[in-house]
Amino acid sequence: MRLDALSRLVRLSLARERRGAFFSAFGVAMGVGTLVFFIGLGLGVGQVIREKIFPNDARMVDVVPAAVSLGSLLGGGKLDAEAVERLRSLPGVEAAHRKMNVRVPAVTRYDGAFFGTKLRMGMEVLAMGVEPSLVKGDTQMGEFKDPGEGQPIPVLVSTRLLELYNKTFAPARKLPQLSANMIVGFGFPVEFNRSYVSANSATGPSRSVQTQVVGASDRAMFAGITIPLETAMRINREAGVDADTFTGVTLVATDPSKVPALVDAVKAMGLEIDDQERRMAENTGAAVALTTSALALLSILICILAAVNIAHALSASVRARAKEIGVMQAVGASRSDIRAIVLAESAVVGLAGGAIGTGVALLASLGVNRFAAGYLPNFPFKPDSFFSFPWPVVLGGVVLGLLAALAGAYFPSRRAAATDPARTLAG
Amino acid sequence: MIHARDVTKEYLDGDGTRVRVLDSMSLDVEAGDFVAVVGPSGSGKSTLLHLLGGLDVDYRGEVKVGGVTLGGLKDKDLARFRNTHVGFVFQSFHLIPNLSALENVLLPSYFGPRTADAVKRAEALLERVGLGAKKDRAPVRLSGGERQRVAIARALYGGPRLLLCDEPTGNLDANTGDGVIQLFRELHREGLTVLAVTHEERMSVAARRVLRLKEGKLVEERATERSVLGGAP
Repeated sequence: MRLDALSRLVRLSLARERRGAFFSAFGVAMGVGTLVFFIGLGLGVGQVIREKIFPNDARMVDVVPAAVSLGSLLGGGKLDAEAVERLRSLPGVEAAHRKMNVRVPAVTRYDGAFFGTKLRMGMEVLAMGVEPSLVKGDTQMGEFKDPGEGQPIPVLVSTRLLELYNKTFAPARKLPQLSANMIVGFGFPVEFNRSYVSANSATGPSRSVQTQVVGASDRAMFAGITIPLETAMRINREAGVDADTFTGVTLVATDPSKVPALVDAVKAMGLEIDDQERRMAENTGAAVALTTSALALLSILICILAAVNIAHALSASVRARAKEIGVMQAVGASRSDIRAIVLAESAVVGLAGGAIGTGVALLASLGVNRFAAGYLPNFPFKPDSFFSFPWPVVLGGVVLGLLAALAGAYFPSRRAAATDPARTLAG
Repeated sequence: MIHARDVTKEYLDGDGTRVRVLDSMSLDVEAGDFVAVVGPSGSGKSTLLHLLGGLDVDYRGEVKVGGVTLGGLKDKDLARFRNTHVGFVFQSFHLIPNLSALENVLLPSYFGPRTADAVKRAEALLERVGLGAKKDRAPVRLSGGERQRVAIARALYGGPRLLLCDEPTGNLDANTGDGVIQLFRELHREGLTVLAVTHEERMSVAARRVLRLKEGKLVEERATERSVLGGAP
């Protein structure tokens, strides 16, 4: 059957059965709209978890020494230079970034101007040294390397720490909101080998140094400051503590698919994988995915009901139009022509319902985002948008509407095609 | 034009009894003839029409119309046959209510090959049946006779050589029916083969041949010389 003829007949038929077509399309729009809305919500929240709360690179593996290891008694299981070289030479490793904690206590005492207000504060500080290559691209000022004795130590702060500061710490203390750009250049003193908590933990005389924030990084230590590895090694060496073994090594795999084999090889060396954050991300992601799936299932049920509704409506329509179908057959319609007409009518209803449902879901997401921005408290990691609508989801919504309608039309179209014109036109 | 041999048609009635409505029936109709088939209700007249028009192919025997053997044709080929070889006119007109008169006449064009002058052709046919001025009217705004004329125009759209009419004046009053019969006469004079099943005297009077369907078989009841009716040779 010619497309222009099919289109004309479908248009005429839908114009006559506007009411039925409207309700059928409404059902499809409901199902598709809720599905697209919840999938968009699940993807959006998942994205926040992956990118903001627990940022993770699928190619990265954090290696730490085993907490308890027989190997360590025999000289294995520790992360010294030799172990790092062995890790670096494992198959599938693109790079190995060493990390070393400053192994003496440290405090900061700040009493001065703080972005337009006055701040007086003293607190314990944890410090971790990392190789500049690990945080390449996050440094916004100068170079991230050991500056040498007497010079300000470059410091990276965690973007997540900054988020927590802005959303919980600062509002309660009437401190200013800070962005990553604003804090670059900010300096504060740190006193190594000193503790407010336990005086016994110090191993010698304390040393006060100036630090300067050079940027914020997802890979920076969450509750502390991140300094160049060489600086951490120097401080440890000067304090007479272990400056040879590393706290951890971040391996970068050549490809995410290489990670499982890499993990096995690392464990075979008597070392452990620090996948706490990854697991938390996975668990939280799984919870979100589960909730989204349950809601999506509900939406799919609505789509199925919409398809059943279409099947009922079309069956009734086919029965009512039996004579009309018979006439079409008498003037030259084949069974496949009749089937095509019924399917095309339903396809138009499904496409319209799918497109309207998807459009309504997109509009509803804008409404929810506006509501959240205006009425929800400014909690940590609160995103600008709770939704993510990649194009396959948008297109999928429309296609789902089409498929639901075609599924609903399948049996009615067969029944229509099986119409016996001799019987319907008799009398 | 029509050649049917030993055609037998049976069906199951409501209580499951097998009813033989056509019993080894044979029929030959020449091109350009005007034939009326008469008989009581339920004698199988409409069934005969449906077999000849390719609407029903569930029978035994041979049916050949316009050189096309209908038995064994695939659905698509049967549809093409109905689109181009025959035109149907029904007692109840069977116009599609939400289409205008013109669109009803155009209906066969949707199932045939694309033609540039489809609308012109449909308009010309409506003119031919005297309804050129009412082409945009919906069937509900036409009288019974006018509806039947639209149905005739629709039947003629595909340029058929055979018109199959099922009680075409059955739902019309005497005057209107006479007008429709006159139209069939004119079409017959123009060379169209007309086969009408009817139980109306005036329709059978108009026909050149009258056949009676009796106990599943056709019996010649009357044949008039063509020159009397002025039909095509």
